Amino acid sequence: MRPGNGGLRDLCLLAIALIASATLTFPLHAQTADTPDDMVTRLSGLETAPELDLAALRQRAVDRIKAKADAVPLKRPPLTTELRKLPQFTVGIRFDPDTSIVRPESYQSLGRIADALLRQSLLPYGFLIVGHTESTGKRDYNLTLSQKRADSIRDVLVTTFKISPKRLQAIGLGEEQLLDPAQPAAAINQQFQIVTIAKAP
Amino acid sequence: MTIGDFIVSDEVMVHGRSILLILTLAAPSLAAAETMSFGDAAAILGNSCGKDIDDNCRGVNFDSIRLKDCLYRNQDSVSPQCRVDYLRAFDAIQKHIAARATVARMCEYEVVKRCKGKAKEISKSLDCLLQQSGVSAKCSQAIGDAGYR
Repeated sequence: MRPGNGGLRDLCLLAIALIASATLTFPLHAQTADTPDDMVTRLSGLETAPELDLAALRQRAVDRIKAKADAVPLKRPPLTTELRKLPQFTVGIRFDPDTSIVRPESYQSLGRIADALLRQSLLPYGFLIVGHTESTGKRDYNLTLSQKRADSIRDVLVTTFKISPKRLQAIGLGEEQLLDPAQPAAAINQQFQIVTIAKAP
Repeated sequence: MTIGDFIVSDEVMVHGRSILLILTLAAPSLAAAETMSFGDAAAILGNSCGKDIDDNCRGVNFDSIRLKDCLYRNQDSVSPQCRVDYLRAFDAIQKHIAARATVARMCEYEVVKRCKGKAKEISKSLDCLLQQSGVSAKCSQAIGDAGYR
């Protein structure tokens, strides 16, 4: 063996270990997608459409907040585990503070989502936009704000890019379904999930 | 032919040349606009008009009618770059939307004859259409412009 090969091999092993570690610790449901191609890949592969009752899911969030149950964010269980099993990606969309007005720096992200949803391979599918917040502030306020913001994204996709409203639903879950439960106050919890939930008959 | 006719003809020629020049200069951007993706068009709007939207249209969402209308109403205040680019961006978005309607027209032969589908239900034939080799150039162009590939 030539001198130096061992060092190089160690370096490679370290790199592989780091990549593997990052892949294992980064939650599957929190994977982002930057380009329409990435988004199409992440949204593809729905085998069986889930039976999601969005009204009931939303009501569970309302009831839990009203009952002041699971008050500690770090110990708060998710409202549903069903969403995590579905094809999806997460995306950071910026808004004006305390409003549902999309910031101009996020226009491109919305345009890219529209591009992805119009790709031929995704045309037969329906999608859910899920709004979240981090765990700062009041829970009921966060729930309302996340719903307004998810609705706002849907509105832009429908009115500006003419994505069929039949293909898009929106729900806000506030801080009741944290994207990163280990860090409830982290900004990553403000991201949105775009989830494939339906297939045209 | 009188001197007056010459002058009129000359004016027409000058106007004609001006129009030709404008068309020549505009042609690349028009061609680009036809195939611009939503993402690229939205990026132009966000990058060129971000500050102008903050200053003049705060509270207006990314709505193709309301935001365009707001920027139009505030044309005197918005930056020269935004004044040019907001029209270009919204135009590109509209063309991209219109291209989807064009596919049914441009690909009618392929849809009906090769895919045994109906032009009115183009989405049901897209899978077949994209797998076809030798579709007409206009059909292929329309599919690309619509962003289906």
